[in-house]
Amino acid sequence: MNKVLFFAHLRDAVGKELIEINASGKTVGELKEELTEKYHLPRMETVMTAINEEFASNDEVIQDGDEIAFIPPVSGG
Amino acid sequence: MNERYSRQILFSGIGREGQEKIRNKHVLIIGAGALGSGNAEILTRAGVGKITIIDRDYVEESNLQRQQLYTEEDVSEKLPKAAAAEKRLRAINSDVEIRALIDDAIPEVLEELISDVNVMIDATDNFETRMIINDISQKYNVPWIYGACVGSFGMSFSIIPGKTPCLNCLLRTIPLQGMTCDTGGIISPTVQMVISHQTAEALKILVEDWEAVRTSFVSFDLWRNQYTSLKMGKAKFAGCLSCGEDRTYPYLDRENMTKSTVLCGRDTVQIRPSNQGKISLERLATQLLSLGYKVKGNPYLLSVEMGSERMVIFQDGRALIHGTKDLIHAKTIYQRILG
Repeated sequence: MNKVLFFAHLRDAVGKELIEINASGKTVGELKEELTEKYHLPRMETVMTAINEEFASNDEVIQDGDEIAFIPPVSGG
Repeated sequence: MNERYSRQILFSGIGREGQEKIRNKHVLIIGAGALGSGNAEILTRAGVGKITIIDRDYVEESNLQRQQLYTEEDVSEKLPKAAAAEKRLRAINSDVEIRALIDDAIPEVLEELISDVNVMIDATDNFETRMIINDISQKYNVPWIYGACVGSFGMSFSIIPGKTPCLNCLLRTIPLQGMTCDTGGIISPTVQMVISHQTAEALKILVEDWEAVRTSFVSFDLWRNQYTSLKMGKAKFAGCLSCGEDRTYPYLDRENMTKSTVLCGRDTVQIRPSNQGKISLERLATQLLSLGYKVKGNPYLLSVEMGSERMVIFQDGRALIHGTKDLIHAKTIYQRILG
């Protein structure tokens, strides 16, 4: 199983900060697509992904037990 | 060294030698909104030798809640932010050479300013300008410190050419619909927390304590009590066009910039973003309505009343700003809503 954390407006879109799903064997890109469809997430292509608190690219494969976080870059200032 | 900086000199990370270095350095702050105000005030008080601040906007009432350099008087005089900031910063510390520019931070302007700059502070509100800063940073080998916030959520990352990944490695493209303070709201503590991260990094860079510079990407949510720090080593992208081997600095090229044109014979400016893609008009409408804007729309476009102007946004991100012929003002309005 994997914990998936959402930040900023993604958290609002999903309705919670944390979900648990089985994403092992999927790439980050595949997981983004799946979640985009399920929760109607906006503009996931530029959202940064971390696996176990380390930056991960879209091609990275998720292992069982990995904690995934989606962090949208914000532009306000 | 006088009494003025004694407490900062007493701090072991700075000391007398560090203060002398700070005194001989030049910081360029891009933007004089919330982040720009706070960064400029802290660095002015810290005794940086020279500070240049650039901004294209003027002071409005809705700025006063968080943009710490401005007053009600600045609002009633509709002073340009750069001019109001310059006045206040000079009053705070006459040791510092303050240069304020009322201008748009386009590549030509920044390239002219960059020659003796030691660090750039990102205090902009849009990714297009950040990508320009990022390319300038790589081309002229000057570090810059990304900072951004919306609501109670903020983030910062120090970009050191040749050492850390750059913003283009992280994003690969300009996010078209980044959340901004005009769409997602903002509380002042979020701004201050980002400013603290940025100015601490700036001081480390100014005293040349490179070991101390944070290499992780920090983000936090002050309302939800979250704080994360991401290791970024793996983010460096060999094929990056801004910092890779075959770099072209794509964002210094006019072709990749937002195009704005005054429509012939009309009091209207058209804005065409560089990164064309479909945006969700429905989601944008909901956000704007909840903020109290008057919004009308259909599946093809959205019309938003904004004081004396009206903006019509199309699905491909193109917009018409009615009620102005001022290109820079129109671009400001556009980026306020669409980041």
